[in-house]
Amino acid sequence: MPNSQLSSKLRSSSKRRRSKSKRQKLVPNQPEPLHQETEEEQEEEEEDEGNGFKLKTSAKHGVQPLGNLYFINKGAVNVRNTGLGNLHVLTDELVLEILALLGAAHLGVLATVTKSLYVFANHEPLWRNLVLEELKGEFFFTGSWKSTYVAAASSHKFESSGESVLKIRDFYSDYLFQSWLCANLEMRQEWLERDNIVRVRGISVEDFITKFEEPNKPVLLEGCLDDWPAVTKWTKEYLTKVSGDVEFAVGPVEMKLENYFRYSDGVTEERPLYLFDPKFAEKVTVLDSEYDVPVYFKEDLFSVLGRERPDYRWIIIGPSGSGSSFHIDPNSTSAWNAVITGSKKWVLFPPDVVPPGVHPSPDGAEVACPVSIMEWFMNFYGDTKNWKKRPVECICRAGEVVFVPNGWWHLVINLEESVAITQNYVSRRNLLNVLEFLKKPNAKELVSGTNDRENLHDKFKKAIEEAYPGTIQDLEKKAEEKRIAEEQKVTFWDAATDSKSGAFKFSF
Amino acid sequence: MSTSKKIVLKSSDGHIFEVEEAVALQSQTIANMIEDDCVENGIPISNINGEILAKVIAYCKKHVVLPDGDTSSSSKEDLKDWDAEFMNTDQSTLFDLILAANFLNVKDLLDLGCQTVADMITGKTPEEIRTVFNIENDFTPAEVEEIRKENQWAFE
Repeated sequence: MPNSQLSSKLRSSSKRRRSKSKRQKLVPNQPEPLHQETEEEQEEEEEDEGNGFKLKTSAKHGVQPLGNLYFINKGAVNVRNTGLGNLHVLTDELVLEILALLGAAHLGVLATVTKSLYVFANHEPLWRNLVLEELKGEFFFTGSWKSTYVAAASSHKFESSGESVLKIRDFYSDYLFQSWLCANLEMRQEWLERDNIVRVRGISVEDFITKFEEPNKPVLLEGCLDDWPAVTKWTKEYLTKVSGDVEFAVGPVEMKLENYFRYSDGVTEERPLYLFDPKFAEKVTVLDSEYDVPVYFKEDLFSVLGRERPDYRWIIIGPSGSGSSFHIDPNSTSAWNAVITGSKKWVLFPPDVVPPGVHPSPDGAEVACPVSIMEWFMNFYGDTKNWKKRPVECICRAGEVVFVPNGWWHLVINLEESVAITQNYVSRRNLLNVLEFLKKPNAKELVSGTNDRENLHDKFKKAIEEAYPGTIQDLEKKAEEKRIAEEQKVTFWDAATDSKSGAFKFSF
Repeated sequence: MSTSKKIVLKSSDGHIFEVEEAVALQSQTIANMIEDDCVENGIPISNINGEILAKVIAYCKKHVVLPDGDTSSSSKEDLKDWDAEFMNTDQSTLFDLILAANFLNVKDLLDLGCQTVADMITGKTPEEIRTVFNIENDFTPAEVEEIRKENQWAFE
């Protein structure tokens, strides 16, 4: 049962592609340079599912990677360079940085100068920024960011939608090709195969605490959402209906659900806009009544702060390909993530293992994960196969909950359109860690989700003392005892195996 | 007054530049190297020649932020004028400066350079843009027609 739903999705989408004219293949696991068959070569070849990457559409404008210029069409002219004139010495990123400073009309004019500038000026991320800056969350997505902008700006006066459809031959660029590639790649089967998380169903709260929460281990819990009305009720239609004109947080803007779903239904991009709202239950109160915190996570100590507590619960909605690249949750809290509809791929690393490709700053204030999720899978996932400290992985489906222990790195990608709820929490098992974290001198930058970052430590501690007097001292005492016991264990064995005498002896 | 540390930079063609640390720190690349403590024997900058490196250093000297937070002796307006004059150069030098600022990660200089090029594009017709950057039109007449239709909204 578990895999049938997912693999049929992959099968059906590949069937769709076969009936379309062009399907491109990539030689997998190739380091620099990338290689792609040209249209002529493709048409002669048989479909081969085994080796190739699965792609959603054919390359926009026909952009090819540089490898093709070096290895296939040797000696051919790169239209990219001839079409840029003096600008050709600049890198693709620099050209795009300059174009990012232009207004929409100037970008449109630039697209008519040469084929090369046509490709650059139609780079979708440029138009996405223009739309979000000028239209904010009010945009009416028409299938691409450019046509969305043009439609709004020109009030549909013109015959053309502004959609750029011209095919350009002999344009080679690794940066632009990679960008298109990551937007159109589907998750490879081998990235989804490893599913080594522990799965449990119907365990007691005590068992959960001793086996997972206390030792700080991730686990996937089945059957917790059986009582949630949300699981059957929260279709896109229903959510749109009950939310009406309420706007939800989507990246840099706020959007009505109707507009968001219009976007998420039609989009294919590397980093899709993700709906992630920390006030959903306050904004649409009926939603609050249709889900309930699973029994394992009822202890929620930040609740002592009442309205002044940091953000702690989010509704998460996003299309296939959306998600979060590697990060550690804020405030040293633990979290649970419940999938209501859809499915998510998870990759988790323990606190002391930095995932490949991730570079946190020394104080932990900044986590630089420069690559997108898809790029991470393409370039770094393979590394983890040979590591001793393998990541914990799983696919979490509708009705299931993933427990993310505090401090663990995690990456999540939606394999299909998904609706989920996630909450961060502090229980007694984690209270001391959190207080420790909040005490740090750079707490102001690291602590998130509240306006009053600097005082959060003091406020929280005070509120705990008032609500649960003596708890902190108890926990500190227990922690101290544990630490001493650990130290004595070492001393015991050191002493017991006295190297001088060679004999095994006891000493207390 | 304490003696400030000097950083030695070597261009691709062998020119040696000695700069104050505060000046060099405007390059995030160099700042990282200083932090990683690998600047003992000078820093070879193998993809920037002496002429361009000298200009980048001149920019950084002009824009240095003194320890007490004060930006050099110049006022904001003076700096703007100086920047404009600094950018008033041939395209080859301009693009080399952009590439150098990118490599050395001198954000302000990179922003300045990119904005300068953007200003050269804004408000011009396609033909004028081709002239400015020495570009040959490579669209066929049929393609010109199609592209023009696609982007008609931009010309209104």
